Amino acid sequence: MGDSTGDGTNDEEPWDAAAALVRAAQDGDALAMDDLLALVTPYVTRLCRPIAPVDWADAVQESLLAVFRGLRGLRDPQAFYGWVRTVTVREAVRQARRTEVEQAADPDDVARLAGLLSDDGGELSAQVRDVLSRLPVQHRAVLVLRELEGLDERSAAELLQVAPGTVKSRLHRARSSFRKAWSR
Amino acid sequence: MSSDPVARLRVVATGLRAAMYAEERIDLPYDRVWGIAADLERELPHLVPFLREFRVPPGDSDRKAALAVGTLGVRETFEVRLAPGWCLMQSRLVVGGMAAVAEDGGTRFAVLAATRPAILQPVQWMYGGLLGERRSRAFIRTIAQRAALR
Repeated sequence: MGDSTGDGTNDEEPWDAAAALVRAAQDGDALAMDDLLALVTPYVTRLCRPIAPVDWADAVQESLLAVFRGLRGLRDPQAFYGWVRTVTVREAVRQARRTEVEQAADPDDVARLAGLLSDDGGELSAQVRDVLSRLPVQHRAVLVLRELEGLDERSAAELLQVAPGTVKSRLHRARSSFRKAWSR
Repeated sequence: MSSDPVARLRVVATGLRAAMYAEERIDLPYDRVWGIAADLERELPHLVPFLREFRVPPGDSDRKAALAVGTLGVRETFEVRLAPGWCLMQSRLVVGGMAAVAEDGGTRFAVLAATRPAILQPVQWMYGGLLGERRSRAFIRTIAQRAALR
């Protein structure tokens, strides 16, 4: 459920369905809430795995709790998608920071970072996984937002609550670390 | 989707700001515990105070209709979603839910109850603070007792 537009908006069908479910869930419809949870969980999981590779399952659960805790306060159901992304990335970063020893992300998730890994595709070398695992969590979050979600620098910076220049430099360093390892 | 229905019910309880939510381990196998929980028509009147009858077709369903009859004769229609380890029931006024997952030879079991209309939210908060926890733990204890007897 990625998107290709710079501002992160998405007109794919499942997210159109989400707006109606959001309204019903906000009215206390538990079955709609259950459907919404089923719809959003794969997306939340896809965001959490590369950012919090060790504790991704906890990151998913914490993100879902945060999303549904705040659901009634969401004024525009059409904004659900972007809002879920914001809440999830922040929760995943928080969760990853709790883990002292960071480990490698799942190669399948990393492989989806298409912009960086389109050269060969296929299996990642242990070396590349090691490099990814050594990236600070904020760098991994930038990679996910820019390469997986296709957000522009300004949107990624807003979401991560940092200056656009910080996103730019983090992305540059993350890409550079990655490419060095990849080309070895 | 989370493969753990209990974790999923915790999220739904959070979304509904449920007055009553609890989860506990029951030292009985999952099949035995869920056999009781999923037998709504027979078991629910033993588990829920003031419920005399719960008429519902048997079996799992994404959405099926049920009729609850209270001890004072009040009738309320419910929509029910029933799947292995997962049950949600809702009327215009209330929501009920149960979830279970196998855990080291036993079962982790969760239950929730919430009110639906916004006007009842203050009642829900008060009830949740005063009685929700105790009531939900009593529900789980009764499930365990009935599963042990079956």
